[in-house]
Amino acid sequence: MNPEDFHKLDRVIHEKGRMAIMSLLAATPEVSFTDMRDTLGMTDGNLTTHIKHLQKAGYVGVTKSFRGKRPLTTLSLTGEGRSAFAGYIDALEKIVKSARG
Amino acid sequence: MSSHWAEHNLDVIRTLMERSALYRRALAPLMIAAGLVGIGASTVTCFVKIDGLTAFAMYWLLVAAVAQGICLLLVRRQALKSEEEFWSAPTRRVAHAALPGFFVGAAASLIVVRSAAEEVWMLPLIWSAAYGCGIHAAGFFMPRGMKLFGWLMILLSLGLFIGVGGVVDSPTTETAHYLMGGLFGVLHLVYGVYLRFTESAKESA
Repeated sequence: MNPEDFHKLDRVIHEKGRMAIMSLLAATPEVSFTDMRDTLGMTDGNLTTHIKHLQKAGYVGVTKSFRGKRPLTTLSLTGEGRSAFAGYIDALEKIVKSARG
Repeated sequence: MSSHWAEHNLDVIRTLMERSALYRRALAPLMIAAGLVGIGASTVTCFVKIDGLTAFAMYWLLVAAVAQGICLLLVRRQALKSEEEFWSAPTRRVAHAALPGFFVGAAASLIVVRSAAEEVWMLPLIWSAAYGCGIHAAGFFMPRGMKLFGWLMILLSLGLFIGVGGVVDSPTTETAHYLMGGLFGVLHLVYGVYLRFTESAKESA
């Protein structure tokens, strides 16, 4: 395997929890915080930490609104996040290809 | 250096992306409700005479509207319970996929009613075949069983199309009511009860 390919992997996304969050968001326009938490089986605190990390990198947008009287937090990928995720998948595929020769 | 971790990551991403696009509302209550409405409506026709093509079509369209209304209320209740929007992206996808099949069914029944044909029994089979196509298309965004349920509706309709025409001498409106009760009532109820057990088993797993 070419070590350069490995270095191309985005460090922000290359973490189990954040990769899962990015994967869910890549397939759908938006996901509610509760749905994300339940799907991934994360705690509120753990998910919040990962979201903050992704938000800081500019990959994830967070929208807070109200549905009736209940607060609703919605997560979505930003344009930057979408292209970073596509780049991450490309890098993974290159690694797999080069290992297969 | 091994690249297994990279392959594993790609697998995880693929699985999560597929899961994210799926419609995940509990289907068992919807299926059971639709089944009970279908069986109930079919039973009513044993006591109240609903004869003729137009009366048959109007009656069952009303029943379909009632069943649809109940299902939408159940979906809304589930959405509120899990603090999500009712018209979510997976719900939109399911509705868009099912729409062409349902549209063809509606258009075909309009053609049959306008032609004033006497073959009332064909209408339930046209409806269930078109409904099966719609459910099968929607099944791409739902658990795998829905596609099989769609196929079952299609194949049963086609089988009955040959069977009823060949076996029953002169199928009446009564036959058509029983077909509706069986195809839409019993099938939905049976599948709903099956889902009830499998969905709760998955939840407890």
